Amino acid sequence: MEIIVQGLKEGFLLIWQGDAEIVNVTLLSLQVSLTALVIAALIGIPLGAALALRNFRGKHIILNTIYTLMGLPPVLAGLLVYLLLTSRGPLGQYELLFTPAAMVIAQVLLAAPIVCGLTARAVMALSQEVYDTAATLGASRRQATLTIMREARMGIVAALTTALGRVIAEVGAVMLVGGNIRWHTRVLTTSIVLETRMGNFSTAIAIGIILLVISFAINLLILALEKRTFRYENTIQIT
Amino acid sequence: MKTPFKLHNVIKRYGEREVLHIDQLSIPAGKIYTILGPNGSGKSTLLRIMALLLVNDEGELEVLGEKVTWEKRQLLRLRRQMSMVTQTSFMFQGSVYYNVAYGMRVRKTSSRKIRSRVGELLEMVGMAAYRDADARTLSGGERQKVALARALAVNPRVLFLDEPTSNIDVASAAEIEKYIRHINQEQQTTIIMVTHNLFQARRLADEVFFIHEGRIIEKGPGELIFTQPRDERTAAFLRGETVF
Repeated sequence: MEIIVQGLKEGFLLIWQGDAEIVNVTLLSLQVSLTALVIAALIGIPLGAALALRNFRGKHIILNTIYTLMGLPPVLAGLLVYLLLTSRGPLGQYELLFTPAAMVIAQVLLAAPIVCGLTARAVMALSQEVYDTAATLGASRRQATLTIMREARMGIVAALTTALGRVIAEVGAVMLVGGNIRWHTRVLTTSIVLETRMGNFSTAIAIGIILLVISFAINLLILALEKRTFRYENTIQIT
Repeated sequence: MKTPFKLHNVIKRYGEREVLHIDQLSIPAGKIYTILGPNGSGKSTLLRIMALLLVNDEGELEVLGEKVTWEKRQLLRLRRQMSMVTQTSFMFQGSVYYNVAYGMRVRKTSSRKIRSRVGELLEMVGMAAYRDADARTLSGGERQKVALARALAVNPRVLFLDEPTSNIDVASAAEIEKYIRHINQEQQTTIIMVTHNLFQARRLADEVFFIHEGRIIEKGPGELIFTQPRDERTAAFLRGETVF
């Protein structure tokens, strides 16, 4: 308990003093995870929508594969990226291993199936009526599809927050492909592992608190945007 | 105005089951038509095919003077001359205003025109006070009035009504009927309505189609079908008996 209290104190002190290394680690964490999330959204949202809105042979197998990849172990994702980027790997020539770019690739691999799978679920949960109503009111296919996406946006936002939660708290993949290099590829989660291994528990807890505060702030921002966008959403009243 | 609909040997199947088989059907413009028939007789299937929401398996379909090829641009051009109100009238997430403006917005109508038209229509259906209300919190009757305003906002030449009053109270249904008659008389909009309500069909219809097991077995002026049905199955249905 003492260690936790000490960690809390140290955490606030580190934030308050604006420790250069902590600032660097925090900014890199944000940069890597938010870049990965944006790329995962650009891939996952259109792909999830296309999977939900089209009928083709093998659709269920593809969906099942994506749902399985949603639970992809981070270490395995890291290993795959490592093998791709290692000097003898197919993408070795680009010398991306142990760079933030490699960490982004690994996190995209983890986040994209979540965004894609949950977007597909959100779209498939809508009824045929959405398209029919849009079509009978004169919407083109593109306009009707955008309307469907608008109707599914609560689910899509949930997909993005879930994916962000997964990548920002992830340690296995970034450790493998980033190497936890000080001032270069060290992020919040890998710092926690390092400090724990060195027996600096209170520092590890302090960094953990920073991680939680960042997650909280990002989710608060998303919630604020949600409130603006979904001002007609209701909470189901259970009496 | 061209004959809005001509159907020739139109067949629709679900799997092996033939659910619709229309040999010949021509629907002239400017009248109110009602399609009557027992549950599962193919009324809504017929309506959805004419509204170009469902593709027929066989036969020829002519809509607003054009032979339907189901080509993307043709579909959009034809659909933009029609609109529909259904039994449950799906409301998009958002305000009443957003819903009524939807059809105009997809047609890129100017914001000024949209504002004025939405205001005018909400006034007409007695929903002006609900302009900024969440469309999904409306009662059944209010929802149907908004759905009607939404469908009328695009000035359709043909209005499809799929049991538009089956979920609402008598007073709201009477109001909806009043608007239907008004639209038909003032704007000569062709109205094609599926209903289970025989009294409503009798009150509104210029012409009635009686459909049974996917085939139109009787058609004619509304009053005549109700007073002197030629087909025994129609007569039985009108007496409230089960039709086999």
